[in-house]
Amino acid sequence: MKKLLLLITLILSTSTIFAYDIIHPIGGRAAAMGGSSVASQGLWALQNNPAGMANLEKISLGLYYENRWMLPETAYKCGAFALPTKFGTLGLSFNQFGSSKYNENKFGLAYAKDFGRYLQIGLQLDYLLLKIGNDYGTFNAVTFELGLQSHVTDKLTLGTYIFNPVNFSFEQTLNHEKLPIVFRFGMAYQFTKDFVGQCEIEKNTELEGVNLRGGLEYEAVKNLYIRAGVQTNPGILSFGLGYAISFAQINVSAQLHNELGASAQIGMIFSIGK
Amino acid sequence: MKRLIFTILFLTAALFAKAQIAVDTLSTEALNNLLIEQVERLAEDSDDDLDYEDLLENYIFLSENPVNLNSDEVRQLVELHLISVFQYEELQKYRRFYGDFMFLDELEMVEGFDEQTLAVIKPVVCLEKDQSKDKITLDKMARYGKHQLLGRYEQILEKQQGYAPIDDSTLLAKPNSRYLGNPQKYQLRYTYNYRNKIRAGFTLEKDAGEMFYTDKVSDTIQKLLGNQYHRGFDFVGFHLYAKDLGIVKTAALGDYQLAFGQGLTLWSGMSFGKAGAGSSVMKQGRGITPKGSASEYSFMRGAAVTLGGGPFSGTLFYSNRWVDANISVADTLDNEAELVSSLQETGYHRTIGELLDRHAIRQQVVGGHLAYAVAHFEVGYTAHHTWLNVPLELRPSHYNQYYFQGRSLTNQGIDFKYVKGKYAVFGEAATSMNYDSTALRQAQGPLAFAGLVGLTVKPAGYLNFTVMYRDYGKAYQNLMSNAFGEGSRNQGQRGIYLGVEAAPAPYWNILAYADQFHFTWLTSQVNAPSRGHDYYIRISHSFSKRANAYLQFRSKTKMKNSTDAFVFSHYPIFYTKNSVRFNINYQIGRDFHGSNKAEYAHYRNDDGSNEHGYFLCQDIAYKPEYKPYSLTFRYAIFDAKDYNARIYAYENDVLYSFSVPALYGKGMRFYLLGKVKLFNALTLYARIGRTIYSDRDEIGSGLTLIEGNHKTDLKVEAVWKF
Repeated sequence: MKKLLLLITLILSTSTIFAYDIIHPIGGRAAAMGGSSVASQGLWALQNNPAGMANLEKISLGLYYENRWMLPETAYKCGAFALPTKFGTLGLSFNQFGSSKYNENKFGLAYAKDFGRYLQIGLQLDYLLLKIGNDYGTFNAVTFELGLQSHVTDKLTLGTYIFNPVNFSFEQTLNHEKLPIVFRFGMAYQFTKDFVGQCEIEKNTELEGVNLRGGLEYEAVKNLYIRAGVQTNPGILSFGLGYAISFAQINVSAQLHNELGASAQIGMIFSIGK
Repeated sequence: MKRLIFTILFLTAALFAKAQIAVDTLSTEALNNLLIEQVERLAEDSDDDLDYEDLLENYIFLSENPVNLNSDEVRQLVELHLISVFQYEELQKYRRFYGDFMFLDELEMVEGFDEQTLAVIKPVVCLEKDQSKDKITLDKMARYGKHQLLGRYEQILEKQQGYAPIDDSTLLAKPNSRYLGNPQKYQLRYTYNYRNKIRAGFTLEKDAGEMFYTDKVSDTIQKLLGNQYHRGFDFVGFHLYAKDLGIVKTAALGDYQLAFGQGLTLWSGMSFGKAGAGSSVMKQGRGITPKGSASEYSFMRGAAVTLGGGPFSGTLFYSNRWVDANISVADTLDNEAELVSSLQETGYHRTIGELLDRHAIRQQVVGGHLAYAVAHFEVGYTAHHTWLNVPLELRPSHYNQYYFQGRSLTNQGIDFKYVKGKYAVFGEAATSMNYDSTALRQAQGPLAFAGLVGLTVKPAGYLNFTVMYRDYGKAYQNLMSNAFGEGSRNQGQRGIYLGVEAAPAPYWNILAYADQFHFTWLTSQVNAPSRGHDYYIRISHSFSKRANAYLQFRSKTKMKNSTDAFVFSHYPIFYTKNSVRFNINYQIGRDFHGSNKAEYAHYRNDDGSNEHGYFLCQDIAYKPEYKPYSLTFRYAIFDAKDYNARIYAYENDVLYSFSVPALYGKGMRFYLLGKVKLFNALTLYARIGRTIYSDRDEIGSGLTLIEGNHKTDLKVEAVWKF
């Protein structure tokens, strides 16, 4: 309870409270690596940088749950589905943050295409729904996300992602609350076959400052990954484990915030195909 | 609507161009990146909006007209700091041993030419037989001369307050509350070049707000302006330039620039100064160069000639220009005398006030330079005398007690340079002589001194460091100097500079400097002698030929008056601005280039509060090989609450135009630049940029006020080469 009060105080101390959390790195792998994910590939790229799913080979379905600050009221639920086709990868996504009293929802339709080894481009159209309990009502907005990745060298991958680049907002709310623009770019560097480092910078226009993120992943035993990471704003350390086999992977992680305590995440991906 | 028309025009042009395939020469990407970094540092160092055209036109000219590696023209590379003096020495040595270059790739075998240098200079050099001794005939000039005609239009599309309708009586009551002309800016320039030996051209320009032929003002205003009424192109300049004509080394007529020694006695144009960093703080006087830019403030207009033979050369010049000034009439006992209270440097003549100041006084300069140069050693003597037709009398203030005032000024200086093996020593000593000045100034006698001396050592190929000391007397006055220093004045300053360039490991480079300075007299908004320092480090890394990145830190501390409202007398205190920048450039496939930049700036106010500035951007350039068109796009967001934490970010622009906007407030900015080449001879450029603020409903103030949260700039340019 104390934690919830502290959280509410923190949230209320900022002037607008909407849609901060909905654009937040998703997936057990990203969560374990300090959130750094803009230059990563795979199904969850759909949420983090759609360009990263351009080279997806299998039909995939993913589920993700984050028990943030160990409070059900601030839980984060997420689902994603991706279908690789000859013309690129198609994706569907759903995110929800909050509880019945207050929740933020995002529905997305994504498409990513690969233009040779050097360039992947992704686009996601979003429908956002904000529900505030006690008769405050329901608000919606439409926007889109753009992403870009490039395998510049064998080891270096760069990624850029922009959520809401033309600054749409919730028009009907009392204060015409703005949707943020979220702009991130960063890199992944494959130091060795089994060791990856990632880092990125993110600016959310509705928040003070920028967020720097970094993470490391090491394949300790075949198919078993250990991960750690950090982000600066808010300051969070994270750790995680992942296990992957051909048709499924499971990733778990824990994040530690100095004042708000721990959060736990679990993500699963099932895939079928070649 | 206008935008639509341009889009259609542009697309048609692009379709049209498909039939015509032109191959561009080697990419000047590396050179551009080098210039961008320097220009950004320069922008950070100065508080004013600078006109970079004058400084950069030499580089653009070079990239369009490569120098012959097998001739003395190659000296230009060192003069423009594209190679160091040591690399230049090695180049000369190589040519002495092995004769002329046969292939460009031979450059890789010259000692000290690393990959970075090669990437910069390869596109701007060519191999020809040395033709500098060839006879110039009119026939050859007609046949091989290259002509270029450039026309540019630019405009801010939103309505600014200065262009709002107003009736005459209101305008007469507040004469400077409106611009008299239209908001369009036009530039037209023509240049002719025969093998870099004969150059000629003219430049016409009208700034936004200046009156053009189509603009009308009422008779009352015309009467008020009297002789100062002016419509049409506001700036008109021409130049004629020749070099290597026997004993005549260079000669210029019309507009030209002069640069000698370390710039302490005479350097009429701009220079990179501290922004050059590393070993390029040692300046290379270029002598006489033609001026084709439309920059309206600092240049010479008249005639100049350099004669030379053997190790000796001598330059003589004369300049006669009408410059902008604020004239007031002072009542003295016996008669009315005209006085100049300030010299205007902006070159804008948009309002009644600015028009009244236009070309108000005559500035004449006469002088010369003598030089003696042998293998490793150069020494020069410069002298010039400036006089105004109306004496300058500044509004008295404590800080300007030692500034130039009066009618005339004489400057003299001696410069030297010695480059051999691992060492380069350079310096200049200068004097100024002014008989009519303020009482305080006169109490010290008419003579004042300034000097600088520096040493660059290169212990190994991958390392060099530079130490430089400067001491510019507080009474040293010079209207045409541009030596190394903090701020734009070479006056009342003492400082020591230490710079290092190193390549500690393959693909890693470090550039760092520290500069410590004292201002020995008060400066504008600093009510006491003050001091400060400037630290800079940049670490760069090449991941491969396709990607390189750098990380840069800068911390600059200077003194400024406290803004504390509760103090009776404002005393100076320290202010520090820190900034961190990460930049990465990469190639995506064959046809795309990408670039990202993130910058953070921090400024601490005297009440202890902090200001933060953030900037992030993504650039994408589509430059297909063997295609005559290209597109460049930027998307950026910025968040800097206050001007003090502003961030400068260079933007790609149309040919011969440069923009480094200072971004502050909160919002986003994007631009799209397109280029298309038609029929091999005509190149069209169009650029549209827009800044959208999320924290304000009006932009700017006074005459530039825009009601709304966005500001859009449009530029269209055509360059015809024949």
